[in-house]
Amino acid sequence: MRRLLLILGNDVRRHLKAPWAIIIFIIIPLVMTGLIGIIFAPRTEGNELPPIPVLLVDNDKGLASKLIVSSFDVDQMKKMFQVTVTDEADGRKRMAKGKASAMVVIPNGFTLDLLEAKPVTLLVVKNPSEQFLPDVVEEFMNTMAVMLSGAIQAFSEEVKGIRAMLDLKLDAIPWETLGPEFGKAQKKVVAASKYLNPLLIGLKEEETKAAGARPQVTASDLFSSILPGMAIMFLLFIVQTLMRDILSDREDGKLRRMMTTPLRPLELIGARLTGGWIMGLAVLLVMVAFGTLAFRVAWGPLGSFLLLAAVAAFWTAAFFALFHALVRNRNQAGAIGAPIILAFSMFGGSMIPPEGMPKAFKAVGIMTPNRWFIDGAALVREGRFPIASLIVLFASGLVLLALAVPALRRRTSV
Amino acid sequence: MRSIKRVLHVAVNDLRIMVGDKVFFFWSLAFPVLFIVLFGLLYKTSDKAPDVAELAVVNLDQGRWGAYFVKKIETPGIAVTVTDKEPAEYSRLIILPPDFSAKIEARRSQALAFKKRENASSRAAARVETRLYQAIARTISELILYGEGDLTKFLDGHPEFRDLVVVKGEFPADTVTVVPSGFDHSIPGTTIQFIMMMVLIYGGVTVMEDRKKGVLGRMLFSPLSTGELFRAKLLGRWLMGLLQALMLFVVGAIFFKLNLGSVPLALLVIAVFALAMAALSIFVGSLCTKEDMIIGLSVLLANTFAALGGCWWPNEIVPPAVRAVARISPAYWAMDALHQLRFFQGRFADIVVQVGVLAGLAAVLTAVAGKAFRIRE
Repeated sequence: MRRLLLILGNDVRRHLKAPWAIIIFIIIPLVMTGLIGIIFAPRTEGNELPPIPVLLVDNDKGLASKLIVSSFDVDQMKKMFQVTVTDEADGRKRMAKGKASAMVVIPNGFTLDLLEAKPVTLLVVKNPSEQFLPDVVEEFMNTMAVMLSGAIQAFSEEVKGIRAMLDLKLDAIPWETLGPEFGKAQKKVVAASKYLNPLLIGLKEEETKAAGARPQVTASDLFSSILPGMAIMFLLFIVQTLMRDILSDREDGKLRRMMTTPLRPLELIGARLTGGWIMGLAVLLVMVAFGTLAFRVAWGPLGSFLLLAAVAAFWTAAFFALFHALVRNRNQAGAIGAPIILAFSMFGGSMIPPEGMPKAFKAVGIMTPNRWFIDGAALVREGRFPIASLIVLFASGLVLLALAVPALRRRTSV
Repeated sequence: MRSIKRVLHVAVNDLRIMVGDKVFFFWSLAFPVLFIVLFGLLYKTSDKAPDVAELAVVNLDQGRWGAYFVKKIETPGIAVTVTDKEPAEYSRLIILPPDFSAKIEARRSQALAFKKRENASSRAAARVETRLYQAIARTISELILYGEGDLTKFLDGHPEFRDLVVVKGEFPADTVTVVPSGFDHSIPGTTIQFIMMMVLIYGGVTVMEDRKKGVLGRMLFSPLSTGELFRAKLLGRWLMGLLQALMLFVVGAIFFKLNLGSVPLALLVIAVFALAMAALSIFVGSLCTKEDMIIGLSVLLANTFAALGGCWWPNEIVPPAVRAVARISPAYWAMDALHQLRFFQGRFADIVVQVGVLAGLAAVLTAVAGKAFRIRE
């Protein structure tokens, strides 16, 4: 045991002397988590998207078109859209270069056609390289179109009057008859205001606890769901690097020399395995600490999480012990190890949340430590005990260990 | 001429050694293709809301307005299911309360509970929400049109709403006619990301190993000069990037109907980008003395550049500040140029700025890598 601890202590000191590779592997998941979190974190203003650049072309310059233009000028819309009023030629030139998400074109004669209750078309030119924002503009214009159609129909008589007056000379307008007409319109406006202020039928997005209902996701929730996936991915990379000593000792002839001392192969194997496990766990805890400080990541009950982290680090150490017992040399380990880790990470949900994956990918993901760690971390976050993750990781870790030890003993004997 | 021959000889030999490594095809082809499939499918499901968005309506209304309002919501793009109690599973749900009709008839305002399930398509939810607002606007318009009359008799006969204003969506002239597929997004993004990763890791590690093992020093016993050796290493890594891009584009064209717009211009973009990465790989390989460090640094750089540059997700959803920072990423310029070619059917004039920036970066990195290039430890 003493000799095992001596080797272990020596290994730790050696790795601490040249820590840059490990430091970089700790930095990567934190940088990636930060980047993804910044991009996808819910905005505080309640608007999930950045301001949408919209070009607005008013070929009509009439009453109705001004109504549309001014609708973009409301405070809430100003947050949502970044409107640039321009002419059609310039707008089309800009859209051809993808300089805006969409261009809204109000056609010539829009107001007059509307006043005559003729069908009119608003054009929305969409940026083909964007997938979300142009559709938001189109949907907004669809709603505007319904509101305009409604207003025109609700005030159809008044609209007809306005249309007729537009064709008359100022002195031909029968001003004396307009009084009662204005009175009727006023009644409608008053009636309309009853329906509109407050809105007769509104929508309330509830933060409900009903089954299947959507809770409000905070930035901290987002970081909390990303970091475990990143952490397990780079834990695999780090433990692979740390446990490469198994191969390098053999290749560099150090193993032969060590075996001339009163050191038993099992002690050496035990030291390497324990080293991989303890250093892996330490690295994971460093990531956890940074995640907590930098991103306020919530891990849930510390005891449960530590247990999960310890079991995950154990699995990783056992896996790479077996892996390094099976590969021929360092080059082969480097060439095969990284693809295995990336495949684990891709299928296991470190790169993309499992719920967004195709079914086949999800099925393969169940065979990866990433998936069990991520699922376990999610359960711990919810305050539940990750019993399934612990059992699967620990049991499969034991199987790996049982296979690794005899294989390593064969490779350790000189 | 002889110098060019010597440089070419070493570069092609470098490439042959790299291609001879079986793992090369995993990194250059198999793994990127997995990425392409996964991200392509993700783009497909995320860029296109389901054809029919689900909406469960819990109609508890004790009058006739609930059913009338449901009719206003109905449209071919939305599958409305009417129930009388809240289902356990739903994508999105609206509740029409028992006094829904009574409140309308009394002209009293009300807010309907609208619930959205976590993980359900947010675009489908937006579509449903918009439709709900449109249904509300239609109903209120009819009420205004109906005037001061008794609203309990409204449904016995009233003026119908007409869509006088319609919206037509289209793409700019001479661009695309159909919405590009998810693979049109994921293939260029993955190609750019893996060129960075492969060229930086392979290129950097081999430069470092050749130096440490004295291979570079021994090569100078041949008629090669240090400058020629540097150019040969640069060329070898550049060819590797190009080869990788070509493989992915061919696979993309055969299996995923990839459309790059102008193929020669797309290759020009890739060529300039790969040159910049080749120079960066020699710089990294000349500075670092440990393989793990090169791998770590390359993974960090490649992933950060890829994330910032729009290789993983569309730049449109990125906050403006991050979009501004993204300009420091070479991947941003390459992706922007490839988007111009694919989505806007761009010509050379349309990508001259992006190619210029990448060429400038390649020149600077080549100069820096040339300075840092060492033959011995």
